[in-house]
Amino acid sequence: MVHTNLEGSLFEPTLYIVKGMCILDNEGNRILAKYYDKDILPTPKEQKAFEKNLFNKTHRANAEIIMLDGLTCVYKSNVDLFFYVMGSSHENELLLQSVLNSLYESVSILLRRNVEKRVLMDNLDSVMLAFDEICDGGVILDSDPGSIVGRAALRGEDVPLGEQTVVQVLQSAREQLKWSLLK
Amino acid sequence: MSSFKRDKKEEEEGGCFSFQNLDKTIVLQESRYFNETPVNPRKCTQILTKILFLLNQGETFSTQEATEAFFAITKLFQSNDVILRRMVYLCIKELSKLAQDVIIVTSSLTKDMTGKEDLYRAAAIRALCSVTDSTMIQAIERYMKQAIVDRNPAVSSAALVSSLHLSSTSPDLVKRWTSEAQEALNSEKSLVSYHALGILVNIRRTDKLSTMKLVTRLTKSSIKSPYTLCLLIRLAAQLVEDDASETSQAYIEFIDGCLRHKSEMVIYEAAHAIVNLRKTTRDLAPAVSVLQLFCGSSKATLRLAGARTLAKLTTKHPAAVSACTIDLENLISDPNRSVATLAVTTLLATGAESSIDR
Repeated sequence: MVHTNLEGSLFEPTLYIVKGMCILDNEGNRILAKYYDKDILPTPKEQKAFEKNLFNKTHRANAEIIMLDGLTCVYKSNVDLFFYVMGSSHENELLLQSVLNSLYESVSILLRRNVEKRVLMDNLDSVMLAFDEICDGGVILDSDPGSIVGRAALRGEDVPLGEQTVVQVLQSAREQLKWSLLK
Repeated sequence: MSSFKRDKKEEEEGGCFSFQNLDKTIVLQESRYFNETPVNPRKCTQILTKILFLLNQGETFSTQEATEAFFAITKLFQSNDVILRRMVYLCIKELSKLAQDVIIVTSSLTKDMTGKEDLYRAAAIRALCSVTDSTMIQAIERYMKQAIVDRNPAVSSAALVSSLHLSSTSPDLVKRWTSEAQEALNSEKSLVSYHALGILVNIRRTDKLSTMKLVTRLTKSSIKSPYTLCLLIRLAAQLVEDDASETSQAYIEFIDGCLRHKSEMVIYEAAHAIVNLRKTTRDLAPAVSVLQLFCGSSKATLRLAGARTLAKLTTKHPAAVSACTIDLENLISDPNRSVATLAVTTLLATGAESSIDR
């Protein structure tokens, strides 16, 4: 359902921009989802119904943006994952798009470009941290994938040796030493 | 090390499937491992991930279950593993809404917030503010003020955004942090100044004169961050709307100037503000031509933004939109259905006979 409210109105001057973010799998099941406005989709039941509806309307058409139930949803998919960012229907669509880009790019770096469900589930902790670094209660906290990932992925030894910086190598060496001493 | 690594591999291999059929009672039982010393960071991180995953899936925890899990998690503050600590903060934030006596972690979090490890500090502030109620804020006020003006942008942003959340319950107290927020507004880091502006505006919501002063000063300075500019355009537009006098001309000029910004987000924000101002007697053409350009973009989000704003304009200035009839006609067969529907309704509203024929 497209909201065709033709009455003009200015955007509200607030930091509370994001109404929700979610990652769904290729069957429309929730992998991670956060809703930041108590008045919009307050219960898990309503949220999941909305997600199912959203997925049905978007999984075939790769059309970037949809107006659904009074929300503007921007989205992006890869292999078997779907990323969504939701905002009010009176919101700057490009602002929402920039949040989606931060989310997608951060997750993509965290998964070392293997943006697929299996890899994501193996790195769920880091992805949860990234979610938390991007948006705090509806406020855009950070938009730079570099710094988001810097604060979400901290396990030096998971990175292939060639891609590690000197600091990371030292850190993982220190950690390995610590572990060998603990045994 | 090698044996440890193998353990981890095995755990992770099962990871994908073990998440599928997680059982709440089993996961809560696993939280007993948190009492073990020394703490095993990987095992505990994985259990915390499971708890968070269950909560995120909408699983309901009773107050007792949440409280027990919360207290078990407080044991993990013994470990200094960075990722584990960060997951602990996340769990604290999620469980603080469900569990009782959550203020028990106040001192641990205050310690992390004022400690040396920058990676802890920002996240600790946010977790701390989620467990703090209005009666407890005074106890952390001094630290919050310090954090707002911290040199680390993540710490400063975390403190500002947390203050904004707190201001819904304790507006008077947060008002006392105005001078710190003012200082943060001058930060070089774009998001810090964005957050600072957001909280200042919130504090001064009812004081129009000081909002005007603030906006006037900022419109004259050179702001680079697109987010801050978008917020500033919204504030300027609101002032124009409230004020009929000559002073609002400066704000209109500022918004007009933003039409030439390099970021599409800012250009759109400015164009949207201009066409939606209630009392426009001035030239809409530059804003309309920007929206017209958006309609021809290869990005669906831009096409939708353009078409939607033009659709709104039809009720007020049908003549201004009629210049875009051809562009809107091109959108009728747009692969994005929201865009196509908008184009059709707009064209019907403008009601040019010639376009219906085509």
